[in-house]
Amino acid sequence: MEAARPAGKTRKKRIRAEKGGIDLTFMFLVLILLAIGLIMLFSASYASAYYETGNSFYYISRQLLFAIVGIIGMFVVANIDYHILHRFAFLIYIGTVFLLILVLFVHTREDARRWIPLGFTTFQPSELAKFAVVLIFAHLISTNYDRMKDPKYGVWPFLALMGIVVLLMLLEPHLSGTILILSIGIIMMFVGGTDLKWFMIGGLLLAAAVVVIVLIPGVIPYAMSRIQHWRDPWIDPQGKGFQTIQSLYAIGSGGLMGVGIGNSRQKHLYLPEPQNDFIFSVVCEELGFIGATLIILVFVLLIWRGYVIAMRCRDRFGSMLAIGLTTQVGVQTILNIAVVSNTIPNTGISLPFFSSGGTALVMLLAEMGVILSVSRQTNLEKE
Amino acid sequence: MIVVLVAMIVFGFCVVLHQLFKLQVVEGEALQARALQQQLRSERIGAKRGTIYDTNGNPLAKSATVWSVCVAPGLIDTPEKESDVTAALEKFLELDKESIQKKLALKGTLYQVVKTKVEKPQADELMTFVSENGLTGLIFLEQDTRRYYPYGNFASAVLGFANDDNHGAYGLESYYEKVLAGTPGRVVSMKNSRGVDMDLQYSQEYAAKDGDSLVLTIDETIQHFLEKNLEIALPEHKVRNRVTGVVMDVKTGAVLAMASKPDFDPNNPYEILDDKKREELENLKTVATKEQYDQALREAWYAQWRNYAISDPYEPGSVFKIITASGALECGAVTRQSTFYCSGATTVNGTPYHCWVWASRGEGHGQQDLEHAIMNSCNPAFIDIGQRMGAQNFAEYFSNFGLTEKTGIDLPGEATSIYHARYTINDLASSSFGQTFKVTPIQLITAASAAVNGGKLMQPYIVKQIVDAEGNVISNTEPVVKRQVVSEDISKEMRLMLEQVVANGSGRQAQIPGYRVGGKTGTSEQLDSPKLKSEGRTPNTLSFFGFAPVEDPQVACLVLIDDPDIYNAYGSTVAAPIVGAVLADTLPYMGIEPQYTEEELANVATKAEYLINLDLHDAQYKCRVSGLKYRVVGNGTKVLRQIPEAGETIPEGGTIVLYTEEEGAGDLIPVPDVVGKTVEEANRSIVGAGLNISISGEQIEGTHQVVSSQTPAAGEQVEAGTVVTIQCVESTAPVTE
Repeated sequence: MEAARPAGKTRKKRIRAEKGGIDLTFMFLVLILLAIGLIMLFSASYASAYYETGNSFYYISRQLLFAIVGIIGMFVVANIDYHILHRFAFLIYIGTVFLLILVLFVHTREDARRWIPLGFTTFQPSELAKFAVVLIFAHLISTNYDRMKDPKYGVWPFLALMGIVVLLMLLEPHLSGTILILSIGIIMMFVGGTDLKWFMIGGLLLAAAVVVIVLIPGVIPYAMSRIQHWRDPWIDPQGKGFQTIQSLYAIGSGGLMGVGIGNSRQKHLYLPEPQNDFIFSVVCEELGFIGATLIILVFVLLIWRGYVIAMRCRDRFGSMLAIGLTTQVGVQTILNIAVVSNTIPNTGISLPFFSSGGTALVMLLAEMGVILSVSRQTNLEKE
Repeated sequence: MIVVLVAMIVFGFCVVLHQLFKLQVVEGEALQARALQQQLRSERIGAKRGTIYDTNGNPLAKSATVWSVCVAPGLIDTPEKESDVTAALEKFLELDKESIQKKLALKGTLYQVVKTKVEKPQADELMTFVSENGLTGLIFLEQDTRRYYPYGNFASAVLGFANDDNHGAYGLESYYEKVLAGTPGRVVSMKNSRGVDMDLQYSQEYAAKDGDSLVLTIDETIQHFLEKNLEIALPEHKVRNRVTGVVMDVKTGAVLAMASKPDFDPNNPYEILDDKKREELENLKTVATKEQYDQALREAWYAQWRNYAISDPYEPGSVFKIITASGALECGAVTRQSTFYCSGATTVNGTPYHCWVWASRGEGHGQQDLEHAIMNSCNPAFIDIGQRMGAQNFAEYFSNFGLTEKTGIDLPGEATSIYHARYTINDLASSSFGQTFKVTPIQLITAASAAVNGGKLMQPYIVKQIVDAEGNVISNTEPVVKRQVVSEDISKEMRLMLEQVVANGSGRQAQIPGYRVGGKTGTSEQLDSPKLKSEGRTPNTLSFFGFAPVEDPQVACLVLIDDPDIYNAYGSTVAAPIVGAVLADTLPYMGIEPQYTEEELANVATKAEYLINLDLHDAQYKCRVSGLKYRVVGNGTKVLRQIPEAGETIPEGGTIVLYTEEEGAGDLIPVPDVVGKTVEEANRSIVGAGLNISISGEQIEGTHQVVSSQTPAAGEQVEAGTVVTIQCVESTAPVTE
């Protein structure tokens, strides 16, 4: 890894001076999603905000504030040459690990030690962890591209870096974040050139683990009951099935055309946290299948554009950054919708651009800024 | 590689899109229905039950808003909230802790009623506490109504009562349930998971339609006259079962009053009102099993709720002779001039029938015309009349007079009569004088009214009008003539003959000076009474049917006394004076002015008779026929004291005060100061104070007179009824007009 650094530096030097325009398509898709997200957040949150705090604007006003900060941050980042991130890759990773350890001791809640209190808001280190993993993976892949087939460079460093983060996050515990980071990491390795046999070995190990969990109940406690509640949430409608059932009611109530924006009934204290993990249920209820499909389409366009930027990017670091960050949005979106529609078992995962959460939004927009920064380099002729 | 990645992402989106399609389009409606099930709440809006008014618009039964207090156990999720709620309910509703906790333990529910029929002030106090202590939504109110009967046990047999759920259970409340109840409305609204209305959300109200109100033919005043007299009769004659009375508009069949005593208080129908019965139940409680006691209690309830005037057929006895005579005249079997011989007994088909007179005099009534046969209430004469009519005619008129069918009065629980389908010669004989068959009091008074009202059999009714909540008339009841039973002429003959019964016959005690009263007495034996077996005696039913004025009958009254515990019990001595008292009150109230005959004017007593120790109705009768007014003080049944005392002079138009209770007697009244006042003023204030006035001194027409002196002196304490004598002189300063 020490040997990789000079190569990166020389590359950066060559490219840093060249400037192109940011990708306007991607930028508009980001702003469109953010706008729709903010509107839907207001619609989804005002009822519960009113019941909980007495102020219908509680969530939306905070989110707007963070959105403005995030947009500014996005444009600032977009105008910074992303190659300087090479230098911060390890620093950010180590900082993340520190924060992931810190959160185990300083946190807002005992049952899920995920948030560090900051007074005016809270900070979720796992949000940073996603970026840190993408960044360090991109850094390593771009510097060790030729040696990726060698497990010494192509497998073990990644597994070690990911393993530390995953372990810390499982201690919180934060299962959904862990799954997300594992997915992004594996995809980056896959695109980055790690030998395919390792994925087969990993796939076999995973399959074996699933078989063990399914066939021998009790290996992982509650696994069976969790699967049962996923298969049929109505076996415990007031308890473990409650969230899922309420979400399904909301989605089903929307039908093809939806009940109209603002008219969700399930958001009136039936849906748990309609402003957060279950915001897409409200979207489905209010805008119907057609509206939900259109929004998914915008997400798909954004992801498509992200990959286009990655493909057009002339250097591997930028390409891997764009792939990692775009994949993060894609996987997170799919997982969120899969959870609210009970396609997979319930696990807490937020919807990018939509879910309430200040630091996550600022983080996300900054990441979009990184992609925009990458996009500035795409039109240059190849090396 | 990137192609594989894109494919994976697209695949992921396809999976969730497929799932969304399945949930929203395929299963959407089913899920929406289930969602609505939890979101929609339908709340009932109670309709206000209609009022029952008497004929003059006095409310006899009305509804008022009360509240049901409810809790939402599902929202009471901390021990602090639970103890707060429990404390509030304990404090303001006086509920016991255990029952509250039982309700609160039902955590799966959001709606539990903890107390119903809470009056407004109490509910207000509770809700103030609730909002001040942050218990809003945990304790809430639901509107309800409660039935009030402002006069208590008044006309209760007619009104019946409404249950706690405002559903008519007995009487008019039950018969007119649909009219009175109205249609409850509903509010269907979206609620959030805490049961609070979603703001600006779907809410549809189906307004409640308040119940319509009934205006009865019952006149509160006349009902009061009737009930007062029946109430006195109950202890006066030691009635074992009950007394029942009906006052009816002779011409229309409108029921002006209807009552049975003992009765019940519809505000509290499960309380046994009759002291005797209550005591009996108390005694039973100590000796009987719970089942036996409950059974007895239930029977006592049903007994006091029963409207005997329409539900209990009885053997009418001699009152029925009105029907026999009218029918016989109408079919031409007899005329007024026909004569009948009574030797004291007669034999029909080998069965001997004694005339009632035989027992006391040992001889019969001898030769009598129809009028005297009725006046004498002579059984052999009526057996003769029945035989002259023949079974077919008798049965035809029996049926024509409506005695084989229900009258169709708008009250629940009307009984049918029990009568001979085929008459043997002996059946006909005993039926002629009103035995061996049973009719209800309402059937009898309706039939007897037909005999005297010009021959029209009316359908009795009790609701004259239905009005809606705003007072708009929904419907009016028009009197229904069922059929012309006898001709106008025969009816008139009947009136005159029945007048003789009261004037000179067995019904004398129903006389009212100034009015021509007709009537017929009845004393019947309850031949099928179970008491014959258990107590070895045959209970009697004493009854009297009276009507007035004879020249143009307006009002009829039937009173029957079921099983009095007195010696020599006859309708003539027991029932007639009660009817007399009721009619004496009712006729002037109805605006029928007395027309005194010369004879009656001459008969007016100037000295008080000895009335002490008489039964109240007897004493009242004696006062009436002496042309004296009377006032009763106390609730007793015997006259214990009278003022003025026997032999004392009573000034013209004076009043005798009859004391029926020890306590009331001796209450002293200060004599008002009338010196210097005009005679009219003096008269007003002295009579108004409950005293009698006697004016001495020469009264010169056209001069202005003032009181110069009075005895007893002003301010002196005297007993009610005491005569105050005033001396008048011509005023020196006449008041200019």
